[in-house]
Amino acid sequence: MQRIFQIDGVETDCWLGHDGSRFVLNTPTGAVACQLDPTGLPGGYKLRAKGVVRELRLAVGPEATFMHMDGRTYEVGRVDPAERLAGSDGGASDDRLVAPMPGVVVSVAVKPGDAVEEGQPLLVIESMKLETTLTAPRDGVVAEMPFAEGDSFGLKDILAQLAPEEE
Amino acid sequence: MTISKLLVANRGEIAARVLRTAKARGLETAVLRHVAEQEGPAHLIADEVVMIDGPTPVAAYLDISQIVAAATKIGADAVHPGYGFLSENAGFVAALERAGVTFVGPTSEVIDLMGDKVRARAFVEERGFPVAPSAIEDDDPASFVERARAVGYPLLIKPSAGGGGKGMRVVREDSTLETEIETARREGERYFGDGRLFVERYIERPRHIEVQVMGDGQGNVVHFWERECSIQRRFQKIIEETPSPALTPEQRGEICETAAGIARAVNYRGAGTVEFIYAQDGAFYFLEMNTRLQVEHPVTEMVTGFDLVAEQLRVAAGECLSAAQADIPQIGHSIELRICAEDATADFRPAIGDILLLDEPMGEGIRVDSGILDGGKVTTDFDPMLSKLIVHGRDRAQAITRARNAVQNYVVLGVTTNTGYLDEILAHPDFASGDVSTGFLAEQSETLTAPGEDVSDLLMAAAALSDERLVSDVMQIPEMYRKMGGWRN
Repeated sequence: MQRIFQIDGVETDCWLGHDGSRFVLNTPTGAVACQLDPTGLPGGYKLRAKGVVRELRLAVGPEATFMHMDGRTYEVGRVDPAERLAGSDGGASDDRLVAPMPGVVVSVAVKPGDAVEEGQPLLVIESMKLETTLTAPRDGVVAEMPFAEGDSFGLKDILAQLAPEEE
Repeated sequence: MTISKLLVANRGEIAARVLRTAKARGLETAVLRHVAEQEGPAHLIADEVVMIDGPTPVAAYLDISQIVAAATKIGADAVHPGYGFLSENAGFVAALERAGVTFVGPTSEVIDLMGDKVRARAFVEERGFPVAPSAIEDDDPASFVERARAVGYPLLIKPSAGGGGKGMRVVREDSTLETEIETARREGERYFGDGRLFVERYIERPRHIEVQVMGDGQGNVVHFWERECSIQRRFQKIIEETPSPALTPEQRGEICETAAGIARAVNYRGAGTVEFIYAQDGAFYFLEMNTRLQVEHPVTEMVTGFDLVAEQLRVAAGECLSAAQADIPQIGHSIELRICAEDATADFRPAIGDILLLDEPMGEGIRVDSGILDGGKVTTDFDPMLSKLIVHGRDRAQAITRARNAVQNYVVLGVTTNTGYLDEILAHPDFASGDVSTGFLAEQSETLTAPGEDVSDLLMAAAALSDERLVSDVMQIPEMYRKMGGWRN
């Protein structure tokens, strides 16, 4: 069965199978025989894979699996390939600036129709008591600036939209 | 005057910490909770929880009339403000006074004086204590830019009413001075409702060293030694320790006595902290005085053996300090790590999420002052600091080892935290040798956030095998197809 895992923004297509005696995770770089056994601690497991045994703590969230292993914490996003196809909205990711966290717009430097260069300031936001200047991700033309000075916005709201690049 | 019922006008780890001491001293206790706030450890400790409301959760904790009314309603005879929120608000102190409720802290006059960075600095300078070269806008607003130039570069712009690094700007070139002044003014107006500024010489590679002081308002002032807080991101501390590895015994005596002298000059009552900038050449300058308990007070408690909250409560009740200067030791070494919900690899962006699994370290020399519970939710309503991990060792090396072990075993799953980043700082050779400055984290940001060993395959294997639906789907496929897998390389 197929799964797409996302670690630090990098997606990897995997296929989990079972050869009758053990699970095998096929990744683009090879097949990994693996086994996961509970240790008795809350969320505690022993992972056997690639010839090593690692103790880890694990919690499964709705969209990602969180792990603590050898003193470090990791987040592995789980993408269902079927939902991936259904959820596509056609917009390229570098067309828009998405709010990294909730906040308030301090000032807006451009308006729809303005030509902007990569790195040019588009707006200043304030989140968690810090001012941040958001800049154009690429050269282009501003299509939309949905928020005005003083407006509040939420996590992942679109703060600026550039017109799609012409092919 | 005695205190029998204490309201803690705060939340999170500090509310829990104050409540523990208050209960141990036999007081009745109460704490605030915003209507939309997650349950935290403090709500489980307090005898009584008072619900408060406001346009935002933070606004509720800043609502003087609502909090004073709450104290009166439940019959509290004292309020402990914790840190932040109303802890340094003279208007709050005055309102409590009018309601006949004791404020656990200094007088409103001292809060007013030390809360105004400009007046505080002038007060300290006039009494012969060291301050850095500076220019104050209020002295003559028309010539402020010229006088700022005369201080020399690099310089630091600060809001007069500021604190916690908010609105501070370092200026290295004359060409950016005026735009930076305008930005700092806007930030000052927004955060503190006060756009007045001052400028001071920026000390290159400075260390931040502060001294814990305590007074009883009856003429007795003592210090509880220093804390080094040079490990800062965005001007905010994340690792603090005591003793400072920078100071010789002579320098330690000098800086601690200077701090006590400043506190004596205002006949200080309660717990306070005098902060200094410490230059590489050993010179030190008064920065500000915080008229409250600090976030990092536990390291002081670990090396001195004193409970600073207990001392605060004694003094607030009109008693004398329990110790004279000679009775306050500095034994071993203590380090505090601030566990924050933030992404150190993305410019310390605050993180939110549900706490799916929480397992906090325990053991010899380990103390955890936590503000979170397993199953809780981390939102952006409040500061990203979740808890504090404090360790004690017989010396600095042992304290570092204990801190590393403990932070590596601090399990918070479901929300991104800085535990791995804190461990990288502790593992850095410059931290081990004590050769740091307040710019350390910025200078070393690439080293400290470099990706570790690539364990992606292990992570994906664990993610796959813990995905119950995936595993069940795989096991339902007829064996022949299961064995074939998706593809073969």
